[in-house]
Amino acid sequence: MFNKNKSILIVGAGIAGIQASLDLAEMGADVHLIEQKSSIGGHMAQLDKTFPTNDCSLCILSPKMSECARHPGITLHMNSSLISINGEPGNFTCKIRESATYVDPDKCVACGLCEEKCPTKVTDEFDMELRTRKAIYRYFLQSVPSNYAIDAEHCLRITKGVCGLCERACTAEAINFEDTDKEIDIDCGAVILAVGIDAFDPIVYGQYGYRKFLNVVTSLEFERMLCASGPQMGHVVCPANDKPPKNVAFIQCVGSRDRENGRNYCSSVCCMYAIKEAIIAKEHIKGLDATIFFMDVRAFGKEFDKYYRRADEQFGVEFIRSRVAKITELPGGDLRLHFAHQDGGRDTRDFSLVVLSVGLQQRKDILDFSESIDIKLNDYGFCQTADFQPLDTSKPGVFVCGAFSGPKDIPESVMSASGVAARAARFLGLKRQKKVSKKEFPPERDVVGDRPRIGAFICHCGINIAGVVDVPGVVEYAKSLQNVEYAEDLLYACSQDCMETIKQRIEEHNLNRVLVAACTPRTHEPLFRETLREAGLNQYLFEMANIRDQCSWAHMNEPELATEKAKELVEMGVAKARGVTPLQKLPVDIDPRTLVIGGGLAGMTAALTLAETNYRVFLVEKEEKLGGNLRSIQFSLGDSEPQQLLEKTIENIYNNKLITVYTGTEIKTIDGYIGNFRTTVVPLHRGGTPKELQHGVVIVATGAGEYPTEEYRYKESKRVVTQLEFEKMLHNGVFTGKPMQNVVMIQCVNSREEGRDYCSRLCCSQAIKNALVLKRERPAADIYVLYRDIRTYGLKEQYFGEARDRGVIFLRYDIDNKPTVELIDPENPNSKLHVTTIDPILGKQVVINADFVVLAVSINAPEQNRELAQMLKVPLNEDGFFLEAHVKLRPVDFATDGIFVCGLAHCPKDIDESITQATAAAARAMTVISKMVVEAEGSICEVNSELCSGCGLCVEVCAYAAAEMDEEKGIAFINEALCKGCGACAASCRSGAIDLKGFTNEQIFSAIDSLEMAEILQHSGT
Amino acid sequence: MKVAKIKVKDNIEKTVLSFLRETIDKKLFDAILIPMMVPAGDSYAWVLAQDKSLLDGAYYLPPIMSVQGAKALSSVTKGGKVNKRVAAIMRPCEIRAAIELSKLNQIELENIFLISMDCPGALPLKDWLKDPKRGVDVFKKVIQHFVDEEPKPDKSVRPACAICHRFSDSDAVDLHIGILGTEGEDILFIPHSTQAEAIFAELGLSLNENLSRWQKGVDEVLKQRKKKRAQVQEELKSTVVGFDKLLDTFSNCINCHICQSVCPICYCRQCYFDSDKVKHPPDDYLMRAESKGNISLLPDKILFHLGRMSHMALSCVGCGACEDACPMSIKVAQIFSLIADRSQGLFNYIAGKSIEEPLPMRVYEDDEFHEVESP
Repeated sequence: MFNKNKSILIVGAGIAGIQASLDLAEMGADVHLIEQKSSIGGHMAQLDKTFPTNDCSLCILSPKMSECARHPGITLHMNSSLISINGEPGNFTCKIRESATYVDPDKCVACGLCEEKCPTKVTDEFDMELRTRKAIYRYFLQSVPSNYAIDAEHCLRITKGVCGLCERACTAEAINFEDTDKEIDIDCGAVILAVGIDAFDPIVYGQYGYRKFLNVVTSLEFERMLCASGPQMGHVVCPANDKPPKNVAFIQCVGSRDRENGRNYCSSVCCMYAIKEAIIAKEHIKGLDATIFFMDVRAFGKEFDKYYRRADEQFGVEFIRSRVAKITELPGGDLRLHFAHQDGGRDTRDFSLVVLSVGLQQRKDILDFSESIDIKLNDYGFCQTADFQPLDTSKPGVFVCGAFSGPKDIPESVMSASGVAARAARFLGLKRQKKVSKKEFPPERDVVGDRPRIGAFICHCGINIAGVVDVPGVVEYAKSLQNVEYAEDLLYACSQDCMETIKQRIEEHNLNRVLVAACTPRTHEPLFRETLREAGLNQYLFEMANIRDQCSWAHMNEPELATEKAKELVEMGVAKARGVTPLQKLPVDIDPRTLVIGGGLAGMTAALTLAETNYRVFLVEKEEKLGGNLRSIQFSLGDSEPQQLLEKTIENIYNNKLITVYTGTEIKTIDGYIGNFRTTVVPLHRGGTPKELQHGVVIVATGAGEYPTEEYRYKESKRVVTQLEFEKMLHNGVFTGKPMQNVVMIQCVNSREEGRDYCSRLCCSQAIKNALVLKRERPAADIYVLYRDIRTYGLKEQYFGEARDRGVIFLRYDIDNKPTVELIDPENPNSKLHVTTIDPILGKQVVINADFVVLAVSINAPEQNRELAQMLKVPLNEDGFFLEAHVKLRPVDFATDGIFVCGLAHCPKDIDESITQATAAAARAMTVISKMVVEAEGSICEVNSELCSGCGLCVEVCAYAAAEMDEEKGIAFINEALCKGCGACAASCRSGAIDLKGFTNEQIFSAIDSLEMAEILQHSGT
Repeated sequence: MKVAKIKVKDNIEKTVLSFLRETIDKKLFDAILIPMMVPAGDSYAWVLAQDKSLLDGAYYLPPIMSVQGAKALSSVTKGGKVNKRVAAIMRPCEIRAAIELSKLNQIELENIFLISMDCPGALPLKDWLKDPKRGVDVFKKVIQHFVDEEPKPDKSVRPACAICHRFSDSDAVDLHIGILGTEGEDILFIPHSTQAEAIFAELGLSLNENLSRWQKGVDEVLKQRKKKRAQVQEELKSTVVGFDKLLDTFSNCINCHICQSVCPICYCRQCYFDSDKVKHPPDDYLMRAESKGNISLLPDKILFHLGRMSHMALSCVGCGACEDACPMSIKVAQIFSLIADRSQGLFNYIAGKSIEEPLPMRVYEDDEFHEVESP
């Protein structure tokens, strides 16, 4: 239908843009990723830690950044912006402007000499203006790409024609003052907008004194203050007096949930990040008190409530439910907060530091941007999306992901990014990829049996290493080591010309092992391995010694010792290199078919997304009809119609020839691994015969149900119903034409309490939705919502406002004082009800006469999940929901390759979120099945069957289900396609029967032995 | 708890055997795993007795522990479950080792009926071998002292047994034989499984609830053993804790690896320390000698014990087989008891106590051992 182009343009390289790029590049697309800043990474790079796991943000992000920069399918356009989109979906021409940076990125090796010499200081944007940088600078220390750029606005040479010190300092001749802005055209099939958001600027909240009182900071500023690599190096001090704070207050909803300022939405992330910052701050500063002033704690995501409870109980963070009226400054810089308690009593509290939990807002330039590319924004400046199409903009062929379409946290952004990759893939002419890599390499030289001839290359890294370590000394030392045939120092080992040098030396000296002593293998090993391949050596004949992080950085004040240590590390590396052997990556054929388990909205969406991109799908549903929970959803918060969505989706499923539907069918067994699964399905009706399906990937979309509650007289009275039952009654017109009805809704039934410690996320909006439906029909009805926190996150907040405007009464209750429900006439089961609760404002008990009591029962993971989890060898969390590989960055993957999860099976989520995650699961599946063959890791474990005692510990510790027992032989074996080479099994094996190739016991021992462990060994007498 | 009480005829040994014989008669079991005196009369070996007449030479509680019972059971079931009903009668430490090994896939307990007894301990092999006939008499005394209304510790049992505080009943068995506190007059059969209760019914044993004498005996021995254990471990600490002292303790080790061969928990098919992996090129030894002045040979001696310790600590059941076998009389078992108590204590785990408790290394806890984290 279109003139299909393989290219895609992705605008914005935050975590969403990065994820979308990686997914599409893996599917075989040519990705152009453009970014305004000089590094990719976006806001996530600025964060210290991430909730609810307290993972270091940059530690988990930077591998993705490196992967993105290295991927042969991704072209980065830094310092660039999108100007216009012309043409049709499938055949766009986009104009982008690349701003001049005056530094040639191909020549710059990020040595930092220019920065040292530059005389101009500028406040630093990445560190939230808490420190200064130079006019020539790197966006942040771990920037990707790592090269420098000149800030033209402040550069003396550019503004005044003087200076130019950087040009003289640069030994790489990378500075080019003749550089100019360039406009280029990119042809592409589709465009993805991942332009992200800004943090709200609280200057408009004059009462909080931001920028007037120095000790009032924003949450993003505080994040940088907490960060060990930030401007205060993690030692938090108050800006007014440079003293560590005694106590810190967080004020929530600054720039969120504020109708007066036209910000009638919830920013969704602030409650959690405030809790996180409070915990981290308490960990950093001994004896610090942290207090959070909030309206509702919106800990609605997976594992969030547990984190909230830990903050309260374990870390002693104080929570005060109150809106702070104003802040005044005390002499010395401390601050006084004026606020009112729930009962109306006024109070003040003094704090050393106040953090404003600023919300997310549309980018300042968003109006111009949206006009220039002709897409619509919603009332709040976020990208407008249609009903049940959360990834599509108003312009066909242009898609949106990340927080640009509404407030999102990191995993939601990642899900939407993967999802958008699948949406966009349909507009690209992608074919299944025959080859594992796009690159051609010369045939490998056979070195088995040859005497080791090791080449040792020691990197100066400009002054980064050589400024501390005596690099020539290390080279001389390396030359003295056994089997070292050649040693040389390189200015920047990773630069293009040095890579060429390494290749030449391999040839000249007939080297068969290479050691590079430079920085970390985490970022650079793949690069050097590739160099070896280009030189015709097996990539595993490579070793790396990290003399930057472990020598010049860690011991910068002891250069002699640092040099000694560098020599030792080189010696260890050489000892290990002597024993390394070539390893092969095992090719695994990929069956392009997908098994989707569960025919609810998530399963159907995943199936359709795959089928519409030309992949075959088996869709298995245990009920007789498709649809799952969506069958019971009659209304939505807005005016969209869930039943129309259901009908259309089912129709599309049955009309698509690539989807085979098995309803009334159960999964019996699942065997195999990525690319090669075999599943037996059995029809539930009598006489049905089992059938074996072969497929390459699995998507788990088994859904969830309502918890079978027994609370609040649900079993005794027909007048006590669940929200889903109530929705059905509304739909069936039960209340039409009847006298006025009193309805009491009770929230958090069997939720957020001991044993069921999670929020079901949907119930608040569900209650408000049904309340609004009833109010629209019968405005005189009295509706009471008894709640603990109202969690209408994101753009749902406006409906909470509408409900209050329409007279729905919200009464808060405490977990320790739950409401009670009694039959007015205990003898009569049809009797109306008395609901008793404590009004927190009056502080008194109130009794409400109710015609109906509606319970928001929690969303409950089905018991069958356990069985399926065992079949697939994937984990569940404490609450019985499937546990993804990483809660932040791999929200639809399992640790086991080739298996994905979406919908309620993962955790409670609404229709749009289920659609997004299901599309994401399809995208992640496509990254696998778009290839005919994938390569397993070469450095994997193997079992010596002679030594294995069959105790099974390895099977237990393997996180990837790669270690299995051969029941017949009573010994373990490793599935090579699944093994990730983590070595956990090798460590667990007390018989020494498992070795990790590339890290065998011999190799590691010889490295250790080469160390002079005189102290220990002398004692041991061994 | 309901128990069957049987009057002792002749002596305890014969009474227990006649009970076992009856279970075979009534086809309640197809075979019994039990120690039997060897023809020469100077030792005991494990037999799988299918014929009741074979039970004549059997001893449910022999004076010595020649082969650890769990090793015997493992040799039978390593390849999979037995398809007939087998009763295995073993000392409590042997039972614990069996439970531990079943968690490590070295024993399959399906169809195995476990019977334990109150164990006074065993005689040291070295003492026994000097004069087995005298040993039999010594052991009779040991039992007499043990079952006395006021039980007295007996100095002739192995040091590892003298400090054993898990010498009696546990939930891990199907049936426990209580002899403590009875003055040798009665035997208590304490059932722990429905299977055991079914056997009682089959044999027409009546149940009563009077356990007070036995319980008193158990409590008293426990008190004595715990006291002794604490005392011994305290003394040991002053002689073995610290790297230098540990080296001294193992300095007369002759590297025979017998402790590893007799240990039920050492189940590796080939010990790493017996493998080629610990053999180095000649130059390496010279290099080591050069860097330190000298090296002691055979090499890797202390590493062997440290390696064993790290493998054993969480699973050591304190049976004492290692120490009993050591030709150099190194206090291996006592040292291991010290290490096992601490390391198992860290995980609230008791090796072999219950089949339900997973091995600590198999359990992932999100939140533990903060004390070993860097601040």
